[in-house]
Amino acid sequence: MRRAVGPLLAVTVALVLADSAIVTLALPDILQHLDTSVAQVAWVLISFNLVLGLVAVPTAVVFHRAQPRILGAIGIAVFAAASAWCAVAQSIEILNAARCLQALGGALALVGCLELLIDVYGERRGLAAWITAGVVGTAAGPVAGGLLTQAISWQAIFVVQVPFAVLAVPAALAVRDVPNVPELPPEADDPDDGEPAQQGPARHRPAIRHNLTLALLSAALTAALFLLVLLLVDGWRHSPATAAVTVSVVALAALAARPLARLLDPSPEVEVAVGSFLVAGGLVGLALLPSAELAWTIAPQALVGLGLGLTVDQLTAQAMHLRLPRVEHAAWTIGARHLGVVLGLAILTPIFVSDLQDAQVPAQEAITSLVLDAPLTAQDKVALAKALGDELKNQQGEVPDLHSAFVAADLPADARPAAAELERALNDQLERAATRAFRDSFLVGAGLALLALLAMVAPRRRSSPEDS
Amino acid sequence: MKRDLRGVAGLPAVALVLVAGVLGVQVAAGGGSFEPLKPADACAERVVTTQSEGIEGLTERLVLIGINEAACTLGLSREALTLELAQPGERTDEEIDALREGLKSAVRQLEEDGELPPPSELVNEALDTSDMNGFQKAAIRAIPDAMIDASLDTDDILLRAIDDLDLRDLLANLDNEDDLNKQIQDAVTQAVKDSLLDRLSDLL
Repeated sequence: MRRAVGPLLAVTVALVLADSAIVTLALPDILQHLDTSVAQVAWVLISFNLVLGLVAVPTAVVFHRAQPRILGAIGIAVFAAASAWCAVAQSIEILNAARCLQALGGALALVGCLELLIDVYGERRGLAAWITAGVVGTAAGPVAGGLLTQAISWQAIFVVQVPFAVLAVPAALAVRDVPNVPELPPEADDPDDGEPAQQGPARHRPAIRHNLTLALLSAALTAALFLLVLLLVDGWRHSPATAAVTVSVVALAALAARPLARLLDPSPEVEVAVGSFLVAGGLVGLALLPSAELAWTIAPQALVGLGLGLTVDQLTAQAMHLRLPRVEHAAWTIGARHLGVVLGLAILTPIFVSDLQDAQVPAQEAITSLVLDAPLTAQDKVALAKALGDELKNQQGEVPDLHSAFVAADLPADARPAAAELERALNDQLERAATRAFRDSFLVGAGLALLALLAMVAPRRRSSPEDS
Repeated sequence: MKRDLRGVAGLPAVALVLVAGVLGVQVAAGGGSFEPLKPADACAERVVTTQSEGIEGLTERLVLIGINEAACTLGLSREALTLELAQPGERTDEEIDALREGLKSAVRQLEEDGELPPPSELVNEALDTSDMNGFQKAAIRAIPDAMIDASLDTDDILLRAIDDLDLRDLLANLDNEDDLNKQIQDAVTQAVKDSLLDRLSDLL
């Protein structure tokens, strides 16, 4: 059991942070199964990130003197119970309530697991394990969610988390009690600007620059992961499993970032600035896809993944570096990341929803043009136009499935080769329209990553001439 | 300890190369222009073909050219006007006038290109689908094609038919194929009669 404690706690951290985006690929299934609206189903994603972002710091402030093993065990248990509740939810309201509770338990679990991992592995390795588990969870969440949704169901996403979390409860309790965090002497300086820490118990100010950069990058990464899976599933009509395998490029590239950084040995600031630039470049690449072939998404995703691997763990480590209470500063990074996700969704959702609506007219005109000029007889064109019109009416607000229109048109055998060619051309137009509709959102995401870059490279304020 | 050049510039240089490489390849492959087909200028000349034969093919060509001409008059694309006309609702006088003029312009264009069929061909095909009684059909079929072709002009018949058509009513019944065919057939039959009468009165 003792050997499994560390890995189980790290898996728990990864699970909690994976939950931030794990349902992205399951949203269409949830929408259908719970018979809800697009606006409500988006809250399955938003509610978790919003609650986790808002409660992380207060949780750390209130509970940082509690025993981490108790705190962690309670948090993990609540997280497990809420995950099970999510799996059996029969309405969107219940699911969103369960997601809020999951985030609450997740906040306690993250705060508790940090101290427990440090106790198990030591200061440096424990912190690194906590940070790395978070990065892996963030990058792998959409992949795992997509595969589970395709292979089993959206409920499976929550069910599989329960046994890991249940095992992690005794693992947390098995860690021996750790002493409370040390206090700094009153003269201890702020690690960022050299200002003295506040008097009394050690309490440094949060690292605003790093947390702000983290929030902006999280918003940009939301654009990459959330929008890309939407484009793949709803725009290009790939299965959740195909989309999951495709976006796994981000997670794999994130793993390659650390060896690259070790090889070139940049300063932490350069590493974060370059990572932000890579995320921005990857998002511009996703905005400029030359076709709807999955292969074209690989290189931009690799850039985003490299950027993710260079930035998130480095920023988290820098935001916590020599700051006390450590758990509070860890909570600030959690808050920044998840509120950044909410910020990204809040900025990007209205943009791409509006762009998707605007894309309908050019798509319909392109379809009309191709049908009018198709090498079919007038009667076949009229039959097809009627079937297409019905299909477009039935699928208002979504990218239509034109194949059923071609089946419904019931064309004669000699017209089928031309009809099949036309169907391919029309699907190409739909893919073009969907891809174009996501362009502005990806570019806005790239803008957020560039803002993160600016936040990192902006000149630092110095409190006194002696510090400079 | 000071970092060497590799530590300061190595990663930024690698990142620049990677981003420039990816974006360069994507733009070279048409990355900025993967967009839906843009509608062509309705006022530009358009070559119209058809897979249908006889009256159906002729009607299709007339409609395609006519909509294009009407869209040009209205300052719309052919596709936007087609989608607009496919929607239920009242048509404006401007739309009806533009469509009628567009169809008439299409007849004149096909006439100039020598692509209108002789009237006898139209009459024979119209008889096949007509609801006239057998005696009337037999009587008309007995007239030699040469005589029909000498007596009637295809463009004249079509222009009269277009003038006779109640386009507003026709557009309101686009979903009812039988009703649509009947309206067109009635208009063409009436146009043939009027043309014959005018021809006779000219001769007399």
